Amino acid sequence: MRKFFPVEELARDERFHTITMRDRMADPRASRNLNADQSRRSSNRLSPDRKDASDAARSMMHGIFVGEIQALEGAGRTCWDFTTGGEAPFALKLDMARQAWDEARHVEISVKLADWMGTEIGQFAENTVLFEAACSHDPVLRLAGVNRALEGLAIDVFTTMKEFGDLAGDPYLEFCEDWMLADEVTHVKMGSDWLRRLTEGDAERRAAALEFQSVVDKLFSYGGTRSDSDESIIGLARRFRHLAGFTDDEIDEIADVSRQALEEAKERKRRLQERAAAGAAG
Amino acid sequence: MAVTVTPATFTLVYFDAAAIAAVAAGVAERLGVTADLVIEVDEASPLPRVWTTPGDPIAIRVESGAFEDTRRPRHQSDEAVARSVGRALLRLLDRFTGFAAAPDDADLTLAQAAAWDTYVIGRLHRRGWPQHEQRWRYNFRNRHGFTDAADAAFDRLWAADNLTWDQLVTISDQALAARAA
Repeated sequence: MRKFFPVEELARDERFHTITMRDRMADPRASRNLNADQSRRSSNRLSPDRKDASDAARSMMHGIFVGEIQALEGAGRTCWDFTTGGEAPFALKLDMARQAWDEARHVEISVKLADWMGTEIGQFAENTVLFEAACSHDPVLRLAGVNRALEGLAIDVFTTMKEFGDLAGDPYLEFCEDWMLADEVTHVKMGSDWLRRLTEGDAERRAAALEFQSVVDKLFSYGGTRSDSDESIIGLARRFRHLAGFTDDEIDEIADVSRQALEEAKERKRRLQERAAAGAAG
Repeated sequence: MAVTVTPATFTLVYFDAAAIAAVAAGVAERLGVTADLVIEVDEASPLPRVWTTPGDPIAIRVESGAFEDTRRPRHQSDEAVARSVGRALLRLLDRFTGFAAAPDDADLTLAQAAAWDTYVIGRLHRRGWPQHEQRWRYNFRNRHGFTDAADAAFDRLWAADNLTWDQLVTISDQALAARAA
């Protein structure tokens, strides 16, 4: 079995249609409608009082589903891609194997939730950015990108979805998200612990890993999707991030990166509106 | 009956104005609409909102998300075109047959909008445009509660053909009352 599997060759049947982050960024419509409903709503957060709440929740749940598949693939690859002992300690691989087991269970839960919400497998495009973050050739960077950035995002998403289920009175959604959230906190904690252990005495490697995490965090915040602000669909789950081993400074840094992404998205929207207005006037 | 789609050429999405017009004409014909249709697509918005103005022609203004294939962003889905146009036209037809007392779309409560959508989509489903029932049941539950009473109300609306606005509101209110109990 080969090592370091390319994202383009992930096994998917005909139900799936994959897109890359480049495809998403190339959509000229993406930043034009940030807060399109702001004149009527005080918050952009995913909540049942949105007119598009049901479809938005279905879309987000499908995003979770494909994210779980990619997280399973990523954790599985980490067990295989690196030599035991030399590149990655056996105990780290054991943690990744446990994570793969969790992710497989999450995929099954997500399929059942999608069915409950009226979504077919593959009904929404699959963004493969999550697996791309799991392709680093350095296990420390992979832990930073996947376990801390990606699984950290999962904490934010699951918290938002759990609150959505609670407010809507949907017992299945709230219960399932709560259980998966507990696993994600464990996954992030594993990443935080291993990052510190593997880079002990190697400040340069630690800095490179944290820089990679910051890049991935910003990618996942693209378009202002996730931040502390109510203008973002997904909130930053500070309490659960604390439980997962993030320090206050680290959470503040993610908040800054996310806020920056939100401001950039608003700036892009402003420029597009100006260009459109200039075009209309001319 | 003529259908006009603007813009004639799309630059931000991969839509085909002629294909949209053909699907919309087919839907209108099968629903018994004789007025002309003018469909204006806002391709700069990925949202799925639709607004309808009665008259001859009937004006339908949509954002590109309403006609989009969720599997392939920016690409057109004939199924989505049929659903969005059919839903808009059936709601318009309803207003002339028993729904005269219904508030403007902007003034509908979330529960009323979900109940009306259930009634509209159920009829589209039976008239030959298959719909994913569970998707609409989930939407109805989000607005009326995850209860047996809400499910029973959904089933009545989904299977109904000749409701009045008052009947629809009564069914919706009964489900909401069961949620509160």
